[in-house]
Amino acid sequence: MNNRNSPSSWMLSRRRLLTVAGLSAAGLTVAGVGGGPRRSLAAPRVTITEGNVQPIPIALPDFLGGTPADSELGRNMTQVISADLRRCGLFAPIDPAAFIEKVTNTDAVPNYPNWRAINAQALVVGRLRRQGGDGRLQTEFRLWDVIEGKYLAGQQFVTTPESWRRIAHIIADLIYERLTGDTGYFDTRIVFVDETGPRDRRVKRLAIMDQDGAGVRYLTHGQDLVLTPRFSPSSQELAYMSYGQGDPKVYLLKVETLDREIVGNFPGMSFSPRFSPDNRRVVMSLQQGGNSNIFVMDLQSKATTRLTDTAAIDTAPCYSPAGDRICFESDRGGSQQIYIMPASGGPAERITFGEGSYSTPVWSPRGDFIAFTRIGQGQFAIGVIKPDKSGERIITEGYHNEGPTWAPNGRVLMFFRDPGGNSGPSLYTVDVTGRNEQRVPTPSFASDPAWSPLLTSS
Amino acid sequence: MRTGLTISAVGHATLLAWAALLASGLFAAKPLDTPPTESMPIDIVSATELSQLRAGKLDAPKAEKPKPLVEKIADAKPQINPAQKVVDKPEIVSSFAPAPTPPPEPKVVEAKRPAEAKAEPKPKVPEKKEADKPDPIAEALKHDEAKSSEPKPDTEPKKVEAKKTETKPETKPEPKKIEAAKPQPKFDATRIAALLDKREAQRQASTGDTISRTPALGTRTGDSPQLSASEIDAFRHKVGTCWNPPAGAPNADRVRVLMTIRLKPDRTLAAPPEVEIAARDASTQAMIDAAVRAIIQCQPYAMFSPQRYDAWKEIPLDFNPVEMFGG
Repeated sequence: MNNRNSPSSWMLSRRRLLTVAGLSAAGLTVAGVGGGPRRSLAAPRVTITEGNVQPIPIALPDFLGGTPADSELGRNMTQVISADLRRCGLFAPIDPAAFIEKVTNTDAVPNYPNWRAINAQALVVGRLRRQGGDGRLQTEFRLWDVIEGKYLAGQQFVTTPESWRRIAHIIADLIYERLTGDTGYFDTRIVFVDETGPRDRRVKRLAIMDQDGAGVRYLTHGQDLVLTPRFSPSSQELAYMSYGQGDPKVYLLKVETLDREIVGNFPGMSFSPRFSPDNRRVVMSLQQGGNSNIFVMDLQSKATTRLTDTAAIDTAPCYSPAGDRICFESDRGGSQQIYIMPASGGPAERITFGEGSYSTPVWSPRGDFIAFTRIGQGQFAIGVIKPDKSGERIITEGYHNEGPTWAPNGRVLMFFRDPGGNSGPSLYTVDVTGRNEQRVPTPSFASDPAWSPLLTSS
Repeated sequence: MRTGLTISAVGHATLLAWAALLASGLFAAKPLDTPPTESMPIDIVSATELSQLRAGKLDAPKAEKPKPLVEKIADAKPQINPAQKVVDKPEIVSSFAPAPTPPPEPKVVEAKRPAEAKAEPKPKVPEKKEADKPDPIAEALKHDEAKSSEPKPDTEPKKVEAKKTETKPETKPEPKKIEAAKPQPKFDATRIAALLDKREAQRQASTGDTISRTPALGTRTGDSPQLSASEIDAFRHKVGTCWNPPAGAPNADRVRVLMTIRLKPDRTLAAPPEVEIAARDASTQAMIDAAVRAIIQCQPYAMFSPQRYDAWKEIPLDFNPVEMFGG
């Protein structure tokens, strides 16, 4: 049909060549997708998208001790580790009564089938020894993967016998880190406001305890009203507000030494300052007339810089973990909502748009979420939202939930809940997913918790 | 006037050139050449059929497995029938050819599939054979597994020494009846290109001990047996029940664990899973460990049929928690 041998056809074929060259750019894209190299000869990859998230069954036989006293100490340490792991909700320690094998030698490779038979996925063995002479306690542990049959982690600690509880928390942190891939938070402390007495004559004292509620110590005597303690994110240092006879004063307290330093008198302050991540500045809000603005203060020079200057109430500022931004609450849009602005001040961006009012934003140490309290329809809810305005969700809701504070790994929140009536507030922890809500034991009513950074890293 | 004439001439010339372009077929619509879609093996069996299958019949004909598609002999045969030789050139043996078959069999003539042949497998219809020689298909059936392959196009060139012949479609129900090959090649001028294009034919042809032109389900690229959708589903479900990824860990919603597992015929692991990503941090290591634990804990994988071991002896896996933890 085509006169391919004719000269006109030859000329046309040259044009066709040009046309083809012109179209080749578009054609390349198609060829890259559909006409590329032959597909792999291997079978297609099977994708598993749905897992079964549940606590990891873990076996924790009592740590061995050379003497009856050390055996008792070993049993106590195992119980502390077990309680830590159980409370976090990611582990399910197996009842020791179910154990088939009795561990007698922590140096030997475990007999895996005996532990698989009781559905254990991990096994922790350990022992205590006394060092000759000074009587210091040497603790060692090993973590085994029972399913794969391999050694996962192990460490040895030498300390005074009185520190056995901290060693147990550190071991729990190491187990947590190795099995979940996240840093632990068990070797931390909580500062909170201890409340005693009837509701109209409450005595409020600042208190500190381990994150599991053990070892409560009081930091103030109760003559002055203390409010909103804030931990530095990078040191065992604390800022809190105290109402004495005059204006509220802001104190800086070193937890280890109980050394106190007054930062200044701040009339019209309603929340304690929060530290910058580098621990050199604090950010706070000060009431001036009918409105409130945000200021940053250098802790060395005590120089104060104003960051906002609006007719609205800007308050409750908090630094991002990188220190480059500040989140705060403001009613500049009509109702109390959460805003983000650069740490040096400047235009603020609103991130919450829900019903009710949002307050007390706290940036997660991991940076991925901002926790808040939402008040609406007579309910106080604790929720989280990502700094890019997405992923808002309510974690817990009720009559009165307030004062969220983050665990140093950013996956657990602590807050206080007041059921109303003649009762008083209590502390609770909840996973950032909203699961695994647990009450934290305190000697009496407790409010305004502040979670410390990890003791081992500071 | 002269300008007008020039414009008119140029305009007409352009129109003519445009018409010529159209006539040349440059802008004619061309059929979109799409590769054949990979077919998915699905069997629909009713409850009645299933019970009858399991009950069986004493007088039922002997069931035979589908033959794999073999388009040319894999090895150089010791004896070549000179009467059937078309081109006097040394045979080009494919690099994929298996070892030569031990018994020196007579040359088997490759039968050309009729153009009207259907794509569905017809296991009982025999191929063209030499009448007085041992039945090569019967021998092939003893050790051949069912494989997926695509019917080869008629224009596909043949092996060098293979003789092109015509096959009469076998219509008789007798399964073992075979048709004799025509001894002499028939020259067909329209198929001369097939004779010239030998190298491509050598690369594309499926080789085997015995020529079998019966196509089975599949495509030319369907060169490996695949798991059925129900097997994949059952496997995915079972592994999912054992997979306990660490929820809430940093980047837990972004770490995908790629691995390949190898299974023994008893449906347990032949070796530890081969993880294909590096544990660059504690979070990734925890995700890898959780995936490996799931695979070890979940064995044996009873959902796989032993007859299809080739399909599941090696399974690449992708543990992807994005849907679980995303958002």
